[in-house]
Amino acid sequence: MSFDSAREVRPYLAPPAAMAVGIPGKSGYLRLGFELAPDGRSILRDWERRAPLIVQQALYFDEQIPEMPCVYILSSGGPNVDGDRYEQHFTVRRGAFAHLSTGAATKLAEMRRNYSGLRQLFELEADAYLEYLPEPTIPCRHTRFIADTTIRIDPSATLFYAEIYMSGRKHSGERFRYDLLSIRTRAERPDGERLFREKLLVRPAERSPETAGAMNGYDVFANVVVLTPERHADALFARTRAFIDRDRGLAAGISRLPNRCGLLYKALGRETGPVKRLVRAFCSDVRLEVKGKPLFEEFPWR
Amino acid sequence: MNASASSAASAPSAADDRATVLLRLLQLTDSALPVGAFSFSNGLETAVAEGLVHDAATLEAFTEDLLVQSAFTDGIAALHAHRSRLAGDVRGIVEADRYAFETRTGGEGRLMTCRMGRKLAELAARLFADALLDEWLEALRAGASPGTYPAAQGLVFAASGIDERALFVSQQYGVASMALNAALRCLRVSHYDTQRILFRLSERGGALYEEACVLALDEMHAFVPQIDILASLHEQGIQRLFMN
Repeated sequence: MSFDSAREVRPYLAPPAAMAVGIPGKSGYLRLGFELAPDGRSILRDWERRAPLIVQQALYFDEQIPEMPCVYILSSGGPNVDGDRYEQHFTVRRGAFAHLSTGAATKLAEMRRNYSGLRQLFELEADAYLEYLPEPTIPCRHTRFIADTTIRIDPSATLFYAEIYMSGRKHSGERFRYDLLSIRTRAERPDGERLFREKLLVRPAERSPETAGAMNGYDVFANVVVLTPERHADALFARTRAFIDRDRGLAAGISRLPNRCGLLYKALGRETGPVKRLVRAFCSDVRLEVKGKPLFEEFPWR
Repeated sequence: MNASASSAASAPSAADDRATVLLRLLQLTDSALPVGAFSFSNGLETAVAEGLVHDAATLEAFTEDLLVQSAFTDGIAALHAHRSRLAGDVRGIVEADRYAFETRTGGEGRLMTCRMGRKLAELAARLFADALLDEWLEALRAGASPGTYPAAQGLVFAASGIDERALFVSQQYGVASMALNAALRCLRVSHYDTQRILFRLSERGGALYEEACVLALDEMHAFVPQIDILASLHEQGIQRLFMN
């Protein structure tokens, strides 16, 4: 797996000073396959894990939907470091459903010679339902991070895919000191019909992301893709209000994606907590619309 | 270039006649070009209503963000459509069009670009004969190509003998003048202010072209979350002067 052909990582192709690219411990792989069991439970049927990516066993703690497996992805290596290459492949088969999150914020460490890459594939079959709601990502000084996500989704399925990015280790006074964030997301139907694409490219040294049209003084940015049948998208679009609240330092907007494939929700905030709550509330609306039940309450320690 | 394109009413002599090409460029860049640009504000109206843009300095900074966003999205699509027209490749134009459409994640923005693109293509078909333009219009009517403005611009500018750098900076000019003309109607700035801003921002177009001209369609990118949120607010807003 390589991202070296991507133009924006070309300045960062020197081999890492410590462990080389691709050796054990630096090329994480995670494949999870969810399936509907005859008893109506959705189960984690098959998986493959390669360190540093690991998962806990599927938990069924949600009292609203006790048949829903909730899986937490962990990275045993701590932060993503120079030369790390991770790959995640999630399959939700016909009628199955699941909730995925991470155990803690993803820290992207300082990188001096190379970069860190993440490739993801989400495959959702007919009537499948997946929530991907990880903790925020924190890029540190001189982080170079490239993520490339492909979504292959049946028209009847629903995917809630959220990402939250911070400006840096804000409380140590570090804001937008990273070198590169390159976040590409593409969606298509199983037959290859293209639905939408978005590439967020931030290189603070070349072009400030702090301008009025970009981060505008905020420190936390959430990007949420919801791919869902049109009737659900219409209902959610009508229910979700865009707003700018200067007192609370919080803003959010929602738009319809091309080709009637779903919605794109964006939020900005000064602190992580309020943005996470907004994203969770939106996730709960999506679950209520599609599954008829709200999202479980966040654990008090998160 | 195919045979019927070179028999076009304007194309063969115009390509050799620099004065005509220059006038074609002025005509296609003019804000009076009837493609509906005046009805849109590029999100400026909401930026003013929300207090983000409140004077000449904030207007200039905001307009610059719009230009950068456009350079690496629509700008790239327009360049690829232009090159496809020169290569006589209608599929290339459709591909550039689709990328421009799939990358537009705001509903109103998509509506705007498709209205303007179709109007420009239909207008051009009345100005000169061009086989590739006819083929593309067929694809638009059949729903096989979304009909975005940058794809139409690329095709029409190339057919008019205008080179791709001029196309790119003209597109930049269009984005800036759309926002600045809207500003005159919803913000307390003078014509002197907006003209000064336009004059200064025009100096950035060449450098943005150098950055954008090497990029492939799937390298289109942007990072303007606040502008995206403003567009969404505008779409849900009740009181508004502009369509976008």
